[in-house]
Formats: sequence, structure tokens, C-alpha cells
Amino acid sequence: MDLGLTEAQELLKTTAANFIQQEYPKETIIALESTPTGVTPELFRKVAELGWLGIIIPEVYSGEGRSCTDAAVLFEELGRGPVPGPYFSSGVLGALTVLHGGTEEQKHAILPQVASGERVLSLAVTEPHHGWRPETVQMRASLQGGAYTLNGTKLFVHDAQAATHLICAVRTSPSSNGSTSGITLLIVDAKAPGVTVRTLPGWMAQVDEVRFTNVLVATTAVLGGTEGQGWETLEAAALQAIPILCAYQVGSCQAVFDMAVAYSRTRVQFGQSIGRFQRVQDHIINIVNNLDAARWTTYEALWKLDTGRPAAASVRLAKAVTSEAYLKVCDSGHEVHAGVGVIREYGLTLHTQRSRTLYHLLGEPRYHRRRLADALGW
Amino acid sequence: MDFEVTYTLEQEAFRTEVRAWLAANIPEGLEQPVDPGDLSLAQYQKLRELGRRLGVKGWLYPTYPKEYGGGDLSVDFVMILEEELDRYGLHLPPYYDSGGRLGGASIFVWGTEEQKQQFLPPIFRGEWRTWQLLSEPNAGSDLAGVQTRAVRDGDSYIVNGQKIYVGSLHGCEMMWTIVVTDPDKPRHENLGWLMIPYGLPGTEVRPMELLTAGGEGGASPGLKHTIFFDNVRVPAFNLVGGENNGWRVATTHLELEHGGGGVVRRNRVVDQFLEYCITTKRNGETLSKDPDVRDDMVEAYIKSEIVRLFGLRTYWLSHAHKPRSYEGPQLSYCRKTYALEIAETILRAVGPYAMTNDPDWGPLNGLLEHYQRSAVVGLHPGGTTDIQKVIMARRIGIGRTTKEQAGRLR
Repeated sequence: MDLGLTEAQELLKTTAANFIQQEYPKETIIALESTPTGVTPELFRKVAELGWLGIIIPEVYSGEGRSCTDAAVLFEELGRGPVPGPYFSSGVLGALTVLHGGTEEQKHAILPQVASGERVLSLAVTEPHHGWRPETVQMRASLQGGAYTLNGTKLFVHDAQAATHLICAVRTSPSSNGSTSGITLLIVDAKAPGVTVRTLPGWMAQVDEVRFTNVLVATTAVLGGTEGQGWETLEAAALQAIPILCAYQVGSCQAVFDMAVAYSRTRVQFGQSIGRFQRVQDHIINIVNNLDAARWTTYEALWKLDTGRPAAASVRLAKAVTSEAYLKVCDSGHEVHAGVGVIREYGLTLHTQRSRTLYHLLGEPRYHRRRLADALGW
Repeated sequence: MDFEVTYTLEQEAFRTEVRAWLAANIPEGLEQPVDPGDLSLAQYQKLRELGRRLGVKGWLYPTYPKEYGGGDLSVDFVMILEEELDRYGLHLPPYYDSGGRLGGASIFVWGTEEQKQQFLPPIFRGEWRTWQLLSEPNAGSDLAGVQTRAVRDGDSYIVNGQKIYVGSLHGCEMMWTIVVTDPDKPRHENLGWLMIPYGLPGTEVRPMELLTAGGEGGASPGLKHTIFFDNVRVPAFNLVGGENNGWRVATTHLELEHGGGGVVRRNRVVDQFLEYCITTKRNGETLSKDPDVRDDMVEAYIKSEIVRLFGLRTYWLSHAHKPRSYEGPQLSYCRKTYALEIAETILRAVGPYAMTNDPDWGPLNGLLEHYQRSAVVGLHPGGTTDIQKVIMARRIGIGRTTKEQAGRLR
């Protein structure tokens, strides 16, 4: 038993922390928050050069071939920013989807480019009837004259604006509609004629609507080369990707905790630090309890994944706990900071916005609670 | 990270030895009542006998040095012992000996060599069961405000005062307590930490009527007492840690009471509640197929998992001698508050059946009914939830730049 990080992980953590401190000062993150992509080409290139876009991609596909826990250590640091941009969408979720579902040829063609940053992937799965369930995927791809024609709308697509390619979940056969199976993943050029990406306004960031109007896609774009395997691929990819996403959320919770403790010491009211008031202490204790619940459920799930143990229940647990904890942590952060917390340049709202934006990604907590019951065989 | 112990061949051989030993040495007819208040004297004596046998092997308090009656065993070996005992629903020690566990740790850290030689072997070999005497009618959360007096008189201390929420069913051999040794000194510098043999003249022990007698982890006490000291004469040798140093001695056992040692057990009540829901039919349908019950089951499971992980994390920090801060009291706080919330969840899922231990109608031989009570009682032992939060705040350094250090365990 050893619940500490390895030396290599400590090194990665330090490297990431230093990089983020240097390249992602708060002002940069605040400026990027309201942009469609959440990233600049220069920053993206620098992250790619560090190998972080290929951290989970096996070496045979020109990636770093590191473990889920290693990737989580990196994403925890990114979450502390919270650093926006398509790092998770492309380097983790997109890469894992191709890794689990692609043909050998596709993997060799796509994954090295994801690792180098030449390609940016985004998953276009959910639709106007939102839900992380196969039944909610209804978009049709009809095969005519040796190519698919796509028509429909994908909604709440993360990082579509930054993507060069969309991994799009469709139904190729009308008879499978409403069914849990029969979903196909197509790799669609984000610049293909008929693809319109629009950033959704409001209190979310880098979440988009993608409209497909008579978009022609070659049959070679079917991930895995066979129709109907899509949802199984997504599930397999999500199982590994979810705890890495959770680690990002943990990092953000940690940042909120650190901010709240620091503020409790420096903010003086009634002639003393506000942290001397037990009502204020209660909020910070609520933060650390939620933070640690998220942290340890997440890292146990990662350990199970990396050691080949059955991990489904732990992954569901981690996602349910972490997404719920993230919201509570940010809420309590605002209780501590009061007015200062909602001044945009202070930076707390970056975390609060992410806590809401990531709440539903890859399934909301309630969904994972129910899947947890299934995974435990109840 | 590794959330499990990876056992060496040597350790697996130890497991085989332990398993065979337990099979041969666990007394016949050992039964554990659902309500610890129902533990019979005969059953208690069987548990004590097992404790003494474990003690001879150095397995009762296995991490302590052999010279003091321990087993010199590292944490991985102790995990094996705990896992094998867990197969019998037992743990170390197999009966309520909170005073031995906490007091032993304090004597080990703060005692003179002579005191360690005299007090530790009987505790660690299971010859003594020890009670801790901390709370008083006017000193609960404010433990440092105790009023029981110990006045030096030659080679003795004369003790006068009253302690409450003490002990367990079927008595003990030794007790320890915090007393005022110098009322003129400032708070925290006026206390002494004193071992008091059970049954000295002037001692009166009165049982208390409580909702149930809860405990913080380990075996439950089953009964609590009020103890009155009326000019009780105690050897001065028994003052551990020196004159007016009692509070520092107490920081060691308080650290353990505040969860600092961690725990590697699951919540057995939750496990049995879940099993009950999976196997019980109401109106022809399995409880666990009811979507509302299913949600409740998940809720209870998630909370028990978080507490399990906090326990494991704290256990690792403590046994791998890593720096500790707020983790112990966090474990204690979450265990207490979640227990209460889980009790509500069980009440909602199971219905009024959870409130009876009637042989016909009470589920799981009254286990759930007892949990309804013990979750409430469990809020105070080892410090209230509010006290745990106060300690967490100091250790984290909320509102202060100087962080309070965790109590010494070694």
C-alpha cells in the first residue's frame, strides 16, 4: 500500500505546475475563458511540444504511453488553473475513443497527429434531447452513392470550435432508432461543407452547437470500419477518460480550497481575520471534505484501471462524487469570498463556471449513481 | 499509487500461520450480540481469553516492540492479522479496550523506561483491560477544563472528583485519567496524566442509562459509567509524562481519538443493509428494484465508500509515518456525520421495521434498529463533530498562518 505519487509523477506534477504558472497566469485564463476555443495556437503548440497531448497515447502511435494515473496527475494541475482548451477533449477522450474503436490503420493515421497537435478531436455525441445515453442519439447518416449524408444537430459539444475533426455519433439504420445499440462513430472534418459550429452563449465555456446540413462523409470515416459498434467504443473510452476528467475537477477544487484558506487569513473584518469565525471555518471544512472525497474516489478508480482490476463501479462512484463535490466546493468558496468572489478578475468564478460546465459531461452524477447500482449487481 | 497491500511470500506464509492459529485458538461458541449491551459475562471472558492468547504471540498490539509485549510487526503484517480476524467478525483487540489502545500509545510516547516496563506489557499482552477517564460533568468538549484534583502526598496522589461516560461492560483492571495537579498554573499546564488501578478504596462505579453505549471504531463498550473518586490514594509513580505535563501526554491519545490512526474496515452495517435490500421482498418485489430504495442504497454506499477511503488514507499516513495534519479529525467528522445521514437513509429505505428489534419484525436481528441509536450516540465519543471541525481548522490554518501540529504517535 502506498498512496503517494511516484517520483516520475512528482516530476510531472512539478513540471506542469511550473509551466502553468509561467504560461497560464490568471489574466491569460480569464482572457481565454470567453473565447470560442479557450486556447491560442502558440499555447497549444507549447503543450504539444511537452508531449501532453499524447500522454495517454501508446508509444507505438507516437504518444507518451503513460498510465491513467500519470495523465490524471497532469490534468489535476491543469484543473488548478483551471486551464481551458481542448486538451481533455482531444488528448484524452478523443484519443481513447480512436484507441478503443479505430482500425489499426486509423490509429496510425490519427493518433500521432493528435499527439503532435496537428489534429484536434472533439466528441459530438449529445443532441437536443440531451443525455449521455445511447437512446438519445438520433442523428441519421444515410448511405447514398458510396458516402454518408449527415443531417441534424449535436448540442453541448465540448471544444468543437477548437477541433479539426469531430467524432460524431450517428445512426446509419433507421430501424435502430431509440435502441441502445446500432450507433456508429464517424470521423468528420470540422471544416467540411455543411458543418456549422456555434459557441453557446451564457454561463458555459467552449461548449458548442454543431449543425450538419447535407454533410458528405466517406465510408472510410467509420471508426473501426464497421457500423453499429459506436456506443461500446464510447463506453470503453469513457471508462478510462472519466477519472482523468475527475482529476481535472479535483485540481480545480484544490485551487478553490487554497484560495479560500489564503483569503481567510488576509481578509479582516470586525478587527480580525475572517477565518477566526467558525461559520467561515465551516465553509472551508466543507470544501476540504468534498475535495478529499473527490480526490480519493478518483485516484482509487485510476489505480484500479491501471492495475487491470474491475473498475466500472469505482469510475461511476468517482464521477458522481466528484461532479457533485465540485459544485459544493465552488459554492462554499463563494460563501467565504462573498463579493470579492464574483469580481471576474479575482478568478474564483473561473472555477465555478467550470464546475457547472463539466457537471453533465460524460454523464451527470445522477446517471452515474444509477449506473453504479447496476455495476454493483443490485 | 497502490490502494492494496501487495504481500510478499513471507507475508503470505504469515497469513497461513495466522489462519491456522486462529482456527485453533478462537474459543468455541464465540457469539457477538447485535447490541453490544447484550454481551454476556461468559462471552466477554471468551474474548478476553482470546486477547491473552493473542498477547502471548505479540499479536494483540502487534506494532509495538516485543520488549513491551508487542510483536514488532510492520503495518503489512498487521493488515494480515486484521483481515484474518475480520473473517470471524473480530478485530484487534477483540473486545473493547479503547483505554489500552489510547493509553498504551501515550505511555509509549511519554512514559519513563520504568513506567513502560511496568505498564505496557500487561496492556499489550491483554492481561489488563484499561478504561479511559476523560469527560466530567463540566468538562466535555472543553476537556482541558477538567476539575478532578490530584494532590501530592508523599509517594502518592490523593484523587478527588467525578468522571463520566467511562468504560464498558464487565469491568476492567486499570484506568487512566487527566487530573488537575496544580490549580494555580495556566490552562494546559496544570494537568497530570495518571494511571489508577481499578477498585482502589474510595472509588465508586455507577452504571449510566444511555440510549446505547457507542464507541469510535473497534469493539463497542456496551455500557458506560460514572466514577466517583473520594480521597483515592494512587502511587505517584503512576503519573506519566511528569508533573503538569498531562495535556501533552493527552495529545497523543486525543490524536488517535480524533481518527489520526485511520482505519481499514468497511462499514458492516451498510454492507448488511445493502444485502438486506437485495434479498428482501415486499409486496412480491425485491426492495432493491424499487427505484427510490435503489437511490437510497447508492447514497449509503457512496458515503460508506468515502469514509472507507478517508480511513485508508489516514491509516497509510499514520503507519507509513507520513506528515499528518487535518486528516484524522476529518475522518472522525465524516464518519460521525455520515453515520447519522446513513441512518436516516436506512430508515427511509427500510421503513419502520428499522426501528424495532422485535424477533418477528426487526430486520437483521435488530442490527438496523441498533444503528438508529448508535449513529446518534456516536456523535460525541472522541470529540463532537464541532470539536473535530475546530481541530481541522487549526491544523489547516484557517484564519491563521501558524498551523497546529498533529499529536505525536511515535
